[in-house]
Amino acid sequence: MAVSGAAGHRATVAGGTAAGRGDAARRGTGGPGVAVFVRLKLRLLRNALRGQRWRVVAFAIGLVFGAAVAVLAFLGLAATAMITPDAALVVAALTGAAVVLGWLLVPLLFFGVDDTLDPARFALLPLRRRTLAVGMLAAAFVGVPPLATLVASLGLVFAAGARDGAAAAVTALVGVVLTLLLCIVGSRAVSSAFASMLRSRRVRDLAAIVLAVLASSFGPLQLLVTSTATGGDLGPVAHATRVLGWTPLSAGYVASFDVAAGRPLLAVLRLVVVVAAIGLLLWWWSVTMESAMVGTASSSGRNRPAEATGGAVLSLYPRPLRWAPRTRFGAIYAREARYWWRDPRRRAGLVSITVSGAVLPVAFQVAGAGRHGHHVPLAIAVTMTGIVGGLVLTNQFGFDGTAYSAQLLTGVPGRTELAGRAAALLTAMVPVLTVVTTVVAVVAGAAGQVPVLLGCIAAGLGCSTGLSSVISVYAAYPLPDTANPFAMNTGGGGARGLLAFVAMLGALALVAPLTAVAVLLPGTLSWLVLPVGVGYGVGAVALGAYIGGDAVDRRGPDLLVAVTPRR
Amino acid sequence: MGSPDPASRWLPGGTVDVVLDQPALSLRGLVKQFGTKVAVAGVDLDVPVGSFYGLLGPNGAGKTTCLSMAVGVLRPTAGTARVLGHDVWSDPVTAKRLLGVLPDGVRLFDRLTGAELLGYTGLLRGMDPAVIDARSRELLDVLGLADAGQTLVVDYSAGMKKKIGLACALLHGPRVVVLDEPFEAVDPVSAALIRDILQRYVHGGGTVIFSSHVMEVVEKLCTHVAILADGRLRAVGHLDEVRAGRDLEDVFVELVGGRIATGQELSWL
Repeated sequence: MAVSGAAGHRATVAGGTAAGRGDAARRGTGGPGVAVFVRLKLRLLRNALRGQRWRVVAFAIGLVFGAAVAVLAFLGLAATAMITPDAALVVAALTGAAVVLGWLLVPLLFFGVDDTLDPARFALLPLRRRTLAVGMLAAAFVGVPPLATLVASLGLVFAAGARDGAAAAVTALVGVVLTLLLCIVGSRAVSSAFASMLRSRRVRDLAAIVLAVLASSFGPLQLLVTSTATGGDLGPVAHATRVLGWTPLSAGYVASFDVAAGRPLLAVLRLVVVVAAIGLLLWWWSVTMESAMVGTASSSGRNRPAEATGGAVLSLYPRPLRWAPRTRFGAIYAREARYWWRDPRRRAGLVSITVSGAVLPVAFQVAGAGRHGHHVPLAIAVTMTGIVGGLVLTNQFGFDGTAYSAQLLTGVPGRTELAGRAAALLTAMVPVLTVVTTVVAVVAGAAGQVPVLLGCIAAGLGCSTGLSSVISVYAAYPLPDTANPFAMNTGGGGARGLLAFVAMLGALALVAPLTAVAVLLPGTLSWLVLPVGVGYGVGAVALGAYIGGDAVDRRGPDLLVAVTPRR
Repeated sequence: MGSPDPASRWLPGGTVDVVLDQPALSLRGLVKQFGTKVAVAGVDLDVPVGSFYGLLGPNGAGKTTCLSMAVGVLRPTAGTARVLGHDVWSDPVTAKRLLGVLPDGVRLFDRLTGAELLGYTGLLRGMDPAVIDARSRELLDVLGLADAGQTLVVDYSAGMKKKIGLACALLHGPRVVVLDEPFEAVDPVSAALIRDILQRYVHGGGTVIFSSHVMEVVEKLCTHVAILADGRLRAVGHLDEVRAGRDLEDVFVELVGGRIATGQELSWL
């Protein structure tokens, strides 16, 4: 069984051959082969899709989207055979850095990590850590993103072959495969490490800062790309790529240029850099994986300092929210506020959104600098930030999981339910976004536009909160019952991304009239945008709770079924 | 629990019209189908007021599905459920006010401490804050959860989670209590305590329905028994009627159709 399985594994998983061979040598000892893990993943994927039509649709859309991106990127990279080697080198280096950073950060910020094979599930089986790590890694290759990345980066191999001959092509192939391996190991290691960091209370603030720093590294990169695209001046960029080319980010992608230039040793050295990075990340990953297998959620909450106890009701309300009414609405509001802080999954969402809220306008500003000197891009960027801020609610009931049954058993009115939840999110979001927007505006030299921007952000946040409240009732999906805040169910990443995308477009459409007014209004009247925007946002939230609340009353039990994880 | 004011002053059923000759819980033709699989295939059951009712059944018999439909968290494919005459699905507000429920295999809002969770549940029930505080303190004391203090419910042991779930179910002083596997994962001392609390509650005029597959508990506690297997009721009635002079376990195994080990299988053990 294991032998035929290994052959099947090679057929299915391009790029996993190195791991497969190592496994073949060890098979005599009786441990399960990597093929077992790969087939387990495929089987889980198939079972997750069975009988769930919308999931199949989401999966198919993800597949088509992935294939389209892969083919386009392949063509784009293959076309670098036709430009000068210097320019091609720059493209290769920047592409490499973008791909690796994307793999490391995008799952953390937006999609979550495919958690089909959760290491914790293997804790009781007599598997050695190495067998497990190799198997999990091989299984991680099965999926749309790794295959799309592989196809796209093969364009580089094609270009190297066409321009510099077979030796360069082989080097490029090795470099590309190693970089893909780096991407997968890296994304696993980073998310696993973040999961355990965010679980423990002590380091959560540190984690937030690290994540912020990582995410803001997108900014300079974007600056580089933009100035390359617009300026056409390779001087400073070429210098940056020389540095990048020696980091694991781009080394694999630029190695073939050394072969072409008659310096094969340098190429080997670059590949060694990538291999070393993979080794380090593997070691880090297997260490964090072990802790993920042993202690789940054990470190949170013990020995917390006893607050002055003033009865059960008072203790429910966080200190700054003591003014809230002692009613159903107040209870939901207070509990949600506590949850945005205490639930690692929600905290992770909140942190990523805050960070992207800061990064997004800066990125827009950088991209638009020099061409549009006025406030149009900033207003739109800030509106987008507000919209992203409300999108966390699209699966608010999924966060609850089966705990939602408490709401059903007590017969909470749907409108109270949604209003309380929206109010808690706004309480967390409004101060953060106000500060971020003001700082961004001042840094961008547009301090005078602060009222306009705040009006835009209020409208964007309100529209997306209201829309997400309604969507959350109809499109709830279960989240896996693990302590990893980034974990997603099989095939769920695509669905989650799709849902967020639809919600974002909808909110954009809702807020468009106000943004248009904000942009078109003459400067002397622009202060009007603030009160109108706030009113617009508050109205959207109220409308969302009103419409969605009815749906909650009708669909309550169906909602509970929708968010119950399948066992 | 013979408590001083204000805990005893607040009665949820006070404003509710309770028809006295109605059964505490009445199920008619309850059916639940998941795809092609029939989990519950037509259950009719009347639970008299003041009874201590045990719902027995092997794993996968449909106990949880049945109780979930009875308390209004799972929509039945067909059939009705009434609590003291109030339909759970057409008049949920009244029915749910009369009910206290301890679900099984369901998470609580477990990132709250025990006291916070009780405060939350009480407010969701629309109770007076002073009453919530008094009753919470008492419940936490009696159930031995007061020491847990600031520990989050997610860090509780399985038995402690059951106990805080029970506290949430009893907080608003319901007329009918539905408990799914209340004794699972509970240590013997706590189990005795829970039994004691429930027995006093029944003596005080309340009604308890609970599911279990532990015969000893059911024989010791229950006035009435229903045996569920493959989604159908196999036996219903007074404990003595169902037992008919035999051991409850023998009756159960016979009705459910369990197999007896012949000694041939698992010879490698």
